[in-house]
Amino acid sequence: MVRRPPLLPYLLVLPTVVFVALFTAWPTLLAVYQSFFRQRLNIARFREPTFIGWGNYQELFTSPDFQQVLANTAVYVAGTVPVSVVLAFLLAVLVNRRALGIGFQRLAFFYPTILPMVSAATIWMFFLTPDYGLFNQALAFLGYRGPQNWTANPDLALFAVMMVAIWKNAGFFMIFYLAGLQSLPTDVFEAAALDGAGFWHQLWLLTLPMLRRTTLFVTTIAVIGAFQTVDHIFVLTAGGPSNASTVLLYWLWQVRFEYQNVGLAAALTVVLVAILLVFTVTNFVLSERREA
Amino acid sequence: MMTHRRTLSSLTVLLLLLGLAVAACTPPPAPQAAPAEGETGPAAEPVEIEVFYPVAVDAPIAQILQGYAEAFMAENPDITVKPVFSGGYGDVKTTIQTTVEGGGEPPALAVMLAVDIYDLINGDLIVPLDDYIEDRAWLDRFVPAFMANSSFEGQVWSIPFQRSVVTLYYNADLLAEAGLEPPDSWQSLGETAQALTLREGDQVVRWGIEWPSGWPYWLFQPLAIGSGRNIVDPGDPLTVYFDHPDVVEAVQYYIDLSGVYGATPPGVQAVWGQAPSDFASGAAAMIVHSSGSLAGILEQADFQVGAMAVPGQEPGTYATVPGGGNLYILKGAPQAERDAAWQFIEFLTRPENVADFSMNTGYIATTDEAAELMGDYFTQTPQAQAIREALQYADAEFSVHNLGEVRNIFHKYLQAAYNGELSPEEAMAKAQEEADAALAPFRE
Repeated sequence: MVRRPPLLPYLLVLPTVVFVALFTAWPTLLAVYQSFFRQRLNIARFREPTFIGWGNYQELFTSPDFQQVLANTAVYVAGTVPVSVVLAFLLAVLVNRRALGIGFQRLAFFYPTILPMVSAATIWMFFLTPDYGLFNQALAFLGYRGPQNWTANPDLALFAVMMVAIWKNAGFFMIFYLAGLQSLPTDVFEAAALDGAGFWHQLWLLTLPMLRRTTLFVTTIAVIGAFQTVDHIFVLTAGGPSNASTVLLYWLWQVRFEYQNVGLAAALTVVLVAILLVFTVTNFVLSERREA
Repeated sequence: MMTHRRTLSSLTVLLLLLGLAVAACTPPPAPQAAPAEGETGPAAEPVEIEVFYPVAVDAPIAQILQGYAEAFMAENPDITVKPVFSGGYGDVKTTIQTTVEGGGEPPALAVMLAVDIYDLINGDLIVPLDDYIEDRAWLDRFVPAFMANSSFEGQVWSIPFQRSVVTLYYNADLLAEAGLEPPDSWQSLGETAQALTLREGDQVVRWGIEWPSGWPYWLFQPLAIGSGRNIVDPGDPLTVYFDHPDVVEAVQYYIDLSGVYGATPPGVQAVWGQAPSDFASGAAAMIVHSSGSLAGILEQADFQVGAMAVPGQEPGTYATVPGGGNLYILKGAPQAERDAAWQFIEFLTRPENVADFSMNTGYIATTDEAAELMGDYFTQTPQAQAIREALQYADAEFSVHNLGEVRNIFHKYLQAAYNGELSPEEAMAKAQEEADAALAPFRE
């Protein structure tokens, strides 16, 4: 007798499959397809797509702008993700206790997450104002006498937008760590305490390893988020000065909507998706292997 | 392992919920387009048009436009005008672009940047207005500087609407105290700015001049024009003059304002938003900014405010450049709607409406007839009159084919020069080379 495969599970995932197919898989495939065509909407004779093979990729990989944008993106991701994840973990440990007003503290750390990025960036613009901005005044109070023109100095602009991203995201990631911390079994810690393990020992040898899944999840969304969030760049630096704070997605937006170069934008999309895919899969596989 | 399973299943539930949420957000099917017979029907057929507009200044634009729409509808009961707020200038253009690319129908009328003309023509998004303009003399009412970015290949594609101009604001009290006349050349501008810069020890208390350069081409153009060579030629949207010696000199002058005169902070200044309040609060003796900032400055400043065009290189010469948005009729709208849109344009450009719009928003009156109706306003606000007079020194704003890319190239190298990463000659030579390459596919 043949066992009929259960139908219900498939029905349950169907809406997800449909939406992922429609809003993720299909646009991705379309981008791959379009990336092999020349299509420029602001040139009449190139408005209809023409097949040009690897032409767009060739243009991309020989462009000094692309190299700069890739380097900026690498610095941005490598700078924001580890810092905001470590900060999130520490904040979570800090607020994972019973104390008067602890809810308020949690809210304070989480608050930047609730603000829309554009509003947050507008507030930061005032913090980062040259001369008398809050940030410069605080630094001057601490004895800093270096450059103050945060959003227009080629050496500081990228750093400035990274700072905003870290401030914005750490509280969000903290929530996941807090949830993770609160679901940890207490008996393990009691046993460790009986054996004389101190706070840092417990944190390093018990808490962190047990929160590995949370860390995997948080780093994954942190990296994807780092590639996806550009709103604050529009507000703070517009990618400048001289493209110093232009990251991949910001440039993609420029190429697609300002330069009207559909083919090149598609090739850029493919590069972006490929980077994210490689990262996510590697991250997942490595962590699964450790699990086994 | 249990937790793993639990995580997975809760993830599935989450995704399902997300899916449902997305489904719930899907808009209802768009209302059917007007029936085709409407296009050929009699003029009395009721027609509804949308007007997409941005808000780029600190004025109740939505309320003001709604008022015009209602007044217009009272005169034309067959036409319904619906102004639709659509974000910033970039958002209006992107919304219309993506609507048309997706096979949708754009609004009949939109307010978009005057400099976007070539992008809009090349994108096949707009129609020329010559068929509507029965008498070319009708166009003569508009200030020539505001029409500089409206024509291409002998046709008119847009009508000036919310226009501004680069303005040099100066603190007249400070100038009088120092016994200085308003500057009339690069040298006197630099010296005035130097004289008005106030230092206490190594701290600057007041800068002589603030000249924002976070999005630099617009405020730079008066320097290039004042040097003798605008970076563009209104008749030729395929050529830029970035490496022209006069333009290089203009770049050098901006750098000299900090390097030689010590009158402004060094490097790129991303201070567009803060400059007017710096000026009004006395932290800067002069600023170069949009004429649109006048009302805000007058409201805050407790000193006599002067406004003028930017002095040119030679004594007695001045230069400035217009900016802002024009009215465009979109190609994808049905004929009846486009005709109605033109009627609304005619209504908006009546002298009394142009004057009203100018006085309520701070945008410059685009016609002389309108300016004549604004006598009281000009008496109360002589700066507004001075700004209008500055228009005689205006040359065309930066607009070429492939504007987004060419402008980004120019910004990249102009800022590199401002920040001292390249010399003005090197920077402008590279800018020219890359811009020529970016324009090459448009030449054929």
